Amino acid sequence: MGPKIKAQPQAVAEPAIPVEYRTVKDKLEAEYLESRPYEVLKAKKGFGGMSAAEKSAYANYIFLETGVWKNWAASQQKDFWALVEKQKIPLPLPKPQPLGKDFRGRDLETYTPQEYQEYQKKQTRLRQLEAESKRWREIHIDGDERIEEFEEEESQEVEKQRRKEIGDLRGKAMGRYESDPTWDDVKPIPQDDGEGALAQIAYTDEYSEAMGYLRAIMAANEHTPRVLGLTEHIIGMNAAHYTVWLYRASTLFALNSSIAEELKWLNEVALVNQKNYQIWHHRQLLIDQLYTTISSSPSDLEELAKSELDFMMQMFAEDSKNYHVWSYRQYLVRKLDLFSSAPELASVEALLREDVRNNSAWSHRFFIVFSNPSYCTPTSKATEPDPAIPAIVIDRELNFAKAATFEAPQNQSPWNYLRGVLRKADRKLSTEEEFASQFVQDLEEDTVDIKSSHALDFLADVWEETGEVKKADRALTLLGDTFDRVRKNYWEWRRKALKKD
Amino acid sequence: MSLVSGPGRAGETSGSLPDELQLTIEPHVRYIQSLDSRRDELEYWLTEHLRLNGLYWGLMALHLMGRPDALPRDETINFVLSCQHENGGFGAAPGHDAHMLYTVSAVQILAMIDALDELERRGKGRALVGSYIAGLQNTRTGTFAGDEFGEEDTRFLYGALNALSLLHMMDAVNVNKAVDYIVSCANFDGGYGVSPGAESHSGQIFTCLAALSIAKRIDLVDVDKLGRWLSERQVECGGLNGRPEKAEDVCYSWWVASSLAMIGRLHWIDGDKLKEFILRCQVCSVSADNSTEINARQDTKMGGFADRPGDMVDVFHTAFGLGGLSLLSFPDLEEVDPV
Repeated sequence: MGPKIKAQPQAVAEPAIPVEYRTVKDKLEAEYLESRPYEVLKAKKGFGGMSAAEKSAYANYIFLETGVWKNWAASQQKDFWALVEKQKIPLPLPKPQPLGKDFRGRDLETYTPQEYQEYQKKQTRLRQLEAESKRWREIHIDGDERIEEFEEEESQEVEKQRRKEIGDLRGKAMGRYESDPTWDDVKPIPQDDGEGALAQIAYTDEYSEAMGYLRAIMAANEHTPRVLGLTEHIIGMNAAHYTVWLYRASTLFALNSSIAEELKWLNEVALVNQKNYQIWHHRQLLIDQLYTTISSSPSDLEELAKSELDFMMQMFAEDSKNYHVWSYRQYLVRKLDLFSSAPELASVEALLREDVRNNSAWSHRFFIVFSNPSYCTPTSKATEPDPAIPAIVIDRELNFAKAATFEAPQNQSPWNYLRGVLRKADRKLSTEEEFASQFVQDLEEDTVDIKSSHALDFLADVWEETGEVKKADRALTLLGDTFDRVRKNYWEWRRKALKKD
Repeated sequence: MSLVSGPGRAGETSGSLPDELQLTIEPHVRYIQSLDSRRDELEYWLTEHLRLNGLYWGLMALHLMGRPDALPRDETINFVLSCQHENGGFGAAPGHDAHMLYTVSAVQILAMIDALDELERRGKGRALVGSYIAGLQNTRTGTFAGDEFGEEDTRFLYGALNALSLLHMMDAVNVNKAVDYIVSCANFDGGYGVSPGAESHSGQIFTCLAALSIAKRIDLVDVDKLGRWLSERQVECGGLNGRPEKAEDVCYSWWVASSLAMIGRLHWIDGDKLKEFILRCQVCSVSADNSTEINARQDTKMGGFADRPGDMVDVFHTAFGLGGLSLLSFPDLEEVDPV
């Protein structure tokens, strides 16, 4: 629905019907020419071909275009305008200027006239909203005017909508904090990298905005509930940022926030960030804090131990060897004294039933059984004998390890465990020669059959202990030549050591 | 510098490997130089908390390759000093809290480029750095915390002794107590964990052995038992794992091999197979006619090492892959001190 041609002089024989312009550029160019009908006429007919009336109108048009009439005397100007009126000479429009691009980078000149009209309406709306928003900030943040509590709430909502609309009109939403009036008092501190502006790209905007607000919050040493939301947001994007965790912890404690709630939230974070140190240190800080408030209540402590165990088992369902979780578990066993706790041992057994090769579970079992303060010597190291350990415990552990070797003979964990228990018990390896021999048949023959290189290794040590050097040498040779060739040098070294003895 | 992973993926040479894998220095140098220019990637910003460590790993790799000048020295010093806090400690990047790990990296970087004097000239002084570290020792147990919030880990203990020895300030802490603490971390299987009772882990063993080496107390280690456990870390493909029944990873080429070297047992593993494994983790692959070409899957002329063949490269694994090769006396690499 293009506009009608405005100029109506007789000389210009254009049909007066609506014209559809393809683009706003076409329209502006057409309007430009339409406002100069005598220029167009001259181009068509040549000056000589024009009638006297047309020549006169053309001359007046030139006066209009150049603006020379401004220098004339007032009476002359009056006559001039009367003539322009009479000759129906339109006012020449200025030359169309480039319109620029929209936020998507599209050239505005390629818009249809109708699209362009819409665009201009939106731009007007945007400028109006921006002005309103600017005023809103001035009143609410910088101004002294305090508005009634209720109205404040309501106008915050209105302002929030306004910012959303501004974002829509700009084609780029404001950041989470910039668009939220409750954060207006914080002036974000941008990354200072000393090298000028960075070529930020869209998907880092959310992170860098949030970090900008956190820097400002930390600079002001603010510990308020909104800090928890901000740090949660950042941790959701980057859980490894240790400074964010530390600030969150200090805020939690300053606010006396619910530790139980925090633990619940932390569980979710831990489940999606399996390899993260900060989460576990944060958890320890929380437990330390919680412990001071519940340490006199056995039922609360029991409840905590149970919920922590449940959560750890959830973590182990994802990765049963997660080092962070196991280290935390040792911390918790010490903190809550779970050495003798039945569920503690039972859950380790359950994990080993599921995967007998889980070295972490073996290691934890050794820890709870052989550092249990109810019967162990407190100063006894993991690597030295402890006469205080009851024989019934020793035998139970030996049997447990031995049963596991039958399940997977080539699994090194129970073999290491077996050696560890014998050392604790101060028993000789040779006390288990009969057991280990079950995995080795026809040692001296060509038909030698080995079910476990670890058994052979164990027997080599046994025979070294009992002085059966030839058998030990045979075992070590087999290991280096056949069953564990990658460590040939190690077995050769053992053989040499054997001969030195 | 950052721990940005990629862009390259370590060479997956399907089919048979060339008889002799090679190490070509230049792509790896370029890879490290490129890391700081990747600021338009999200990964760069998400690894900001590792920036100072990343710089250390990058420099370590460059020094091993005999190219210590490949990163501008002045900019390096400026960046390191910009991470320092009033208390003497360093954060991972400007605006990050001070922490043991970054303080150690800062000292290591300055020592590596012979710029410790800058601490006096433009920083907060050598003594303040030392006292920051010393202040993190747990006077009851002898171990060290990472920061004021008290997370404890044998990594921090090693870091503390390492940095203090570089600063010639070992007498600022109770070394005997620290040594006692490490001894209490020894496990029944001969290894060491993050704290007493924690599972043996190759990375933690490195930190414990290196700390004992610095304290000149390696004599406290049951060398044969530990060596046995460490040598068991080599798996069929030649690579090393960190714990029993876990997957191999190039970084353990450093943690395990340097630990074995510290107790004089490096020869217990198959060095040739390990070298081959490490070289298969590079981006830079070697074509059949033995001319070096960059893996065709990358449209970049960069190197770097990944944790295992086929994975994304990063500066951490690049440093430790090269460290492993250096320990194994690979030609063209500077000799490395396992500690």
